[in-house]
Amino acid sequence: MSARVGIEFVPIEGALVRLLGLIERRGFEVRGVRMAERPCGRSATLSVDVSPRDPGRRLDVLEQQLRRLHGVQDITMPTAKAPA
Amino acid sequence: MSPFGAAIAARILDEAEWRPEPVSGARLLVRALEREGVRHVFGYPGGAIMPVYDALPGSSLQHILVRHEQGAALAADAYGRVTGEPGVCLATSGPGATNLVTGIANAFMDSVPMVAITGQVASPLMGTDAFQEVDIFGITLPIVKHSFVVRRSADIPAVVAEAFALARGGRPGPVLIDLPKDMGVMVAGPAEPAARVELAPPVDGQALAQANALIAAARRPVLYVGGGVAIARAERSLRGFAERNGLPTVATLKGLGAIPTDHPLFLGMLGMHGSHAANIAVDECDLLICVGARFDDRATGKLDSFAPNARVIHLDRDPAEIGKLRRACVGVAGDIGAALDRLSARPDAVAWRERCGRNMRSTAPRYDAPGNGVYAPALLRDLSKAAGDRAIFTCDVGQHQMWVAQHCRFSRPQAHLTSAGLGTMGYGVPAGIGALLADPDATVITVTGDGSIMMNIQELATVRRYRLPLKILLLDNSQLGMVRQWQELFFAENFSEVDLSDNPDFAEVARAFGIEAFTIDHRDEVSGAIERLLRTEGPILCHVRIDSRENVWPLVPPNSSNVQMLERTW
Repeated sequence: MSARVGIEFVPIEGALVRLLGLIERRGFEVRGVRMAERPCGRSATLSVDVSPRDPGRRLDVLEQQLRRLHGVQDITMPTAKAPA
Repeated sequence: MSPFGAAIAARILDEAEWRPEPVSGARLLVRALEREGVRHVFGYPGGAIMPVYDALPGSSLQHILVRHEQGAALAADAYGRVTGEPGVCLATSGPGATNLVTGIANAFMDSVPMVAITGQVASPLMGTDAFQEVDIFGITLPIVKHSFVVRRSADIPAVVAEAFALARGGRPGPVLIDLPKDMGVMVAGPAEPAARVELAPPVDGQALAQANALIAAARRPVLYVGGGVAIARAERSLRGFAERNGLPTVATLKGLGAIPTDHPLFLGMLGMHGSHAANIAVDECDLLICVGARFDDRATGKLDSFAPNARVIHLDRDPAEIGKLRRACVGVAGDIGAALDRLSARPDAVAWRERCGRNMRSTAPRYDAPGNGVYAPALLRDLSKAAGDRAIFTCDVGQHQMWVAQHCRFSRPQAHLTSAGLGTMGYGVPAGIGALLADPDATVITVTGDGSIMMNIQELATVRRYRLPLKILLLDNSQLGMVRQWQELFFAENFSEVDLSDNPDFAEVARAFGIEAFTIDHRDEVSGAIERLLRTEGPILCHVRIDSRENVWPLVPPNSSNVQMLERTW
């Protein structure tokens, strides 16, 4: 089962790699990625479908880890999505 | 015109006439470092960073030329720990940059403020596999708080200002600035740096009320202290809180000294090589008040059985640590000192405190080891006592690191610099260099082992070059002692690649670097050695031969509960 994490961030150099790398290092598989640049061009929204690699990995912990990255403005953690 | 009006007029005139003088990016960098109050930069020159080295002479910065970039990063780490301000290290591109990586990771794991500046090949060459090109920005992504590649020379002052603000703000950490060579050469008028301060989130009053309620109801409370107390410079608040409530206190490796280790409430370090009293108290407590610690596996042992009967209050500057490994009944994110000052409840814990004290006394370490050889724990206890409160111990990694934690006395956390999270062999000597430059009046003692010192032995040349009065105690068991101990206990004595009996004569090596040195191997030489070590004005190395079979006790076996401690047999 995967969950969709929404990340609003300032698209500075390396931001995307930093975000995806953190998600993987913290024990989640990245199953899907969507990104759109906001019209104002000052921030971007990344939507990532993630799946924990083992039962000990918690989304609330991942959310806190993402929040502390410089340039991350907001995180949304919607409800779990059923597998396709 | 009034003096006030004159001042305003002068300021208007200054601003009207102020034109940023176009200078090279490298000079902008040096000026920005000066503006941040940097006094020492640890580094090693090379091709891509040459513009910066060209701009260094004439600045107020003192450059400390190390003999390997790892030494620069580790010295900057120690400098950051002692001063609380970012330590700065500088290296060229390619191997210079990659040699910094261990030191950057060390700072990241222990939340140390650091700014690492690397040269990079010129912008048009980036991505072409040019000579000494490496993607240090990419390599260090997981081990920095943040990182920058300079894309415009004019941005350098702003990048430096932001890097320092990030490194020192909130939960500190290392920040990397990668500077392409052309950015250092190019002439630009600087853009104004933007001031930025990372504010602590306000302490949640409701959470504090809940914490006070839990404290008031507790009968067997324990205070569990980590390195976050030292980072927040909240020792005074911590001691006040512990003493107001009479709380038995345990500390992580990084938390040692937050409360004096000879304080009657202090039960010792907890965890794998923790004291019996500390581990038992945590096991039996009904309330665990975790302050600036992160439930690290070396401290908790098997997490499921850690403090099994306790409710948890967790105070940390970093909200991401609260509930990361152990769910907290109450989490308080923000300024640790401010939070501790507002915890006013009093538990009824007299009987519990007395029980913890009795346990502490009855399980205190013994120093009457059989034989006539040097017993390292006794030597360290005596050295620590003789060195006094102005001493700073910098440790390498291995058995000696644990003996220092167990047997030395610390009255402030900055007196104990150790690579706790990463466990970096080779930390000790460069850290001694950094500590001495940060606090020249301190008696700085590096405790190292025969395995660890060889990892950065070249920095003895730096010690000599700057005539730093570093006192090095080298405990030599001709083994990789900690690995040998584990092979003895957990790998059926299958001793594999731990023999270092072909070590060089370390005293001769030190003398070859121009450092006074001597060797002891007998117990009755210890007091004279301590006196000589502390009395000598310049750098000195005391080489101590110890029994290769000596182990660190107690020891909690891996994947075990902290109460399953193996103890010494004599």
